[in-house]
Amino acid sequence: MLRFILDRLWHTFLVLLAISFITFFIMYKAGDPVQLLLPPDATQAQVIQMRHTLGLDGSFFIQYKGFLLQLSHGHLGTSFLYGEPALTVVLERLPATLELAVLAMFFAILIGIPLGVSAAVHHGKWQEKIIMFFSLTGISIPVFWIAMVLVLLFSVTFNILPSSGRGTVYLFSSAFTWDGIRHLIMPVTTLTLFQLALIIRLTQSGMREVLSKEYIRFARARGLSPSRIIYTHGLRNTLIPLMTVIGLQFGQLIAFTIVTETIFAWPGTGKLIIDAIQNLDRPVVVAYLLIIALIFVAINFTVDLLYTFIDPRIRLR
Amino acid sequence: MDPYAIEEVATISILSNIFEAPVTLDKDLKVRPALATSWENSDPTHWIVHLRHHVSFHNGNPFNADDVLFSFHRIKQWARSGFRGEMAMISGIEKLDAYTVRFTTQKPFPLFLQKLSRLRILDKETLRGKSDAWIANHPVGTGPYRFIEWRRGDRIVLHAYENYWQGAAAFDTLIFKPLSDSSTRVAAMLSGIVDLINRVPTMDTRRLRSRNDIRFFSRPGLRLIYLQMDQHRHTSPYIQTPTRTNPFLDKRVRQALYFGIDETAIVHYIMGGYALEAGQLSPKAVFGSDPTLKRPAYNPQKAKNLLKEAGYPHGFTVRLDTPNNRYVNDAKIAEAVAVSLAKIGINVNVNAMPKSRFFAQISRLDTSFFLVGWEDIDGDAGSMMSACIHSYDAKRGYGRYNYGRFSNTHFDKLFESSQEEMQREKRLALLQKSQILALIDSQCIIPLHFQVDLYAAKNSINFDPRLDGQIRAFYITPKVP
Repeated sequence: MLRFILDRLWHTFLVLLAISFITFFIMYKAGDPVQLLLPPDATQAQVIQMRHTLGLDGSFFIQYKGFLLQLSHGHLGTSFLYGEPALTVVLERLPATLELAVLAMFFAILIGIPLGVSAAVHHGKWQEKIIMFFSLTGISIPVFWIAMVLVLLFSVTFNILPSSGRGTVYLFSSAFTWDGIRHLIMPVTTLTLFQLALIIRLTQSGMREVLSKEYIRFARARGLSPSRIIYTHGLRNTLIPLMTVIGLQFGQLIAFTIVTETIFAWPGTGKLIIDAIQNLDRPVVVAYLLIIALIFVAINFTVDLLYTFIDPRIRLR
Repeated sequence: MDPYAIEEVATISILSNIFEAPVTLDKDLKVRPALATSWENSDPTHWIVHLRHHVSFHNGNPFNADDVLFSFHRIKQWARSGFRGEMAMISGIEKLDAYTVRFTTQKPFPLFLQKLSRLRILDKETLRGKSDAWIANHPVGTGPYRFIEWRRGDRIVLHAYENYWQGAAAFDTLIFKPLSDSSTRVAAMLSGIVDLINRVPTMDTRRLRSRNDIRFFSRPGLRLIYLQMDQHRHTSPYIQTPTRTNPFLDKRVRQALYFGIDETAIVHYIMGGYALEAGQLSPKAVFGSDPTLKRPAYNPQKAKNLLKEAGYPHGFTVRLDTPNNRYVNDAKIAEAVAVSLAKIGINVNVNAMPKSRFFAQISRLDTSFFLVGWEDIDGDAGSMMSACIHSYDAKRGYGRYNYGRFSNTHFDKLFESSQEEMQREKRLALLQKSQILALIDSQCIIPLHFQVDLYAAKNSINFDPRLDGQIRAFYITPKVP
């Protein structure tokens, strides 16, 4: 186990190093942030001065070396645009994104797994048809379209939900105030739908495969109650592939809420990263990607640990 | 939120509610007194500015000459200052007494007051010795609104300052929300969670107009959209001609473009009517524009003849570089230009890209033909001529944005003389003459149109758009029924 963790840490370190290098290189090649920061009539002298202030006057390797040196002291650089530590800028916006992703995943699992199981159990019946039709729709409709239709219906036409913004925030989250919840409903619904549809499909196909296995028939023969067969013997064995996908999807949710955040003007990291890329704010882009990479690694690690709980046959090496 | 960090209209717009400068530009960009009550020239390079008494900062500290000196030094010397260019001509400041200061300019400088309007005054007592980050997060000014809270990416909250020298503002709370997606902005207006939006997308104007609780505003703005081309290399990287020469070196080819682009159609179909065809460098409201100049009518036949005379009877092929997220409908305009020019035999390939890549590329002169915009934010035509038309001269700071490298020494001389002319009428004549020389006689650029700024507001408020697009809430009032 310890060996497993140490291995993982070492791999994480290599991944982060590679990501920082690639991002740094792409942002270096993407253009000159000074052009975007200075007013149109700035003089050449100002440009040179600004470049020096931001540490953009050396060659690529000198700049990257400077970045690594800073990193070894725990600094990720200062945002060109905000003039504050890039890490602070990103961390300040992270709760808003996490809250959307966590809630969306929570509802997707809460609703998706029972519906998927139900569709598998009622194979060939009307329940299955309705559930599977719904999930097919959920997978096929683009996120931005759902978001816009929700806004059109609930904000513009009926005027019962706020069309954008985050509402009142308490303890880093808007889920603890009524105003905050009203703001959360539409973005979370938008994000949930796709994940929900995906989880239904995975659970359904996984369950159908498992339910046709020998040991299920044996369990039936033993006269166990149907719910015990479905949940203990059936679902538990579908959970492993499901966990893997949920883990990956959760990472995706955090990293790709950009569309939803843009439409609902949600002050999360999605909007931050788009702005940062457009303004070539390299420190923020690098800090953001490093944090996202860390989150991905952490999620995968958790999923691996969960495997051993769900299926005692799995050992981590 | 550092008032000197960056000159960009959204930021400046918010800051203009918190901070004030000695003078201010009104909604038509005319100079008006603010923290100064009056000013005079003791000689052409010295300006004596008399400051207003009994003005206090939001934290109660009194305003006086020391604050002006402190602010001036910071804007000139702070490493990250985005306003050094604006202040370059103003070389020095002296305190004459507690409420009088004297500024020195390097040369006679007719735009002194416009530049002075950018010197937002900070409180010396509050800021002295504070870090950049602290200053950015604690904006303290003398303006009608004081800073309360900034939730990044979500909102900036301001409250009316009770002791504002012009009296407290009509609305107690002012909230700015960054709704960068245009459909989000319109939805917020339609659902009533905001009272005012700017940059209404042209395709949503009809929808907003159909509501009787919302008023729609359009005001011709400052921005000119124009085409610029490589005018200095004999072979240009993205032009294909049989002889491998650069056709844009020939004035007749440039004129052919001017006659051969159907700008009426662009304004009508691409801009939804919310743009004005441009026949000169500056819009009507700007000092230096010429009321006698009109855009010549679209004339493809004349354009073809000009091309034939220049030796390109079968046209040529060129790449047109354009940003796709900088100006209103930018990439669509470029496509319409390509359609127009195809009719006179010029084959244009549109190369659209995000602004960050676009500006990096054209500043390397890695382009033959491109679409850009310019705003005369001082309300004076000189800024465009200085930055985009004057020959490139890094040392003297001219032609920094002249990426086509147009160069005409007669124009340069004439224009430079206008830059030191202190008499308004003479200066106006010089600017107008310079424009004729550059645009009519040499076709330095191809003007397309001036943008029209679009706003929507609830019917319950009085709002009057500014020429520069800033939102100054002090001048927004509730409508009395």
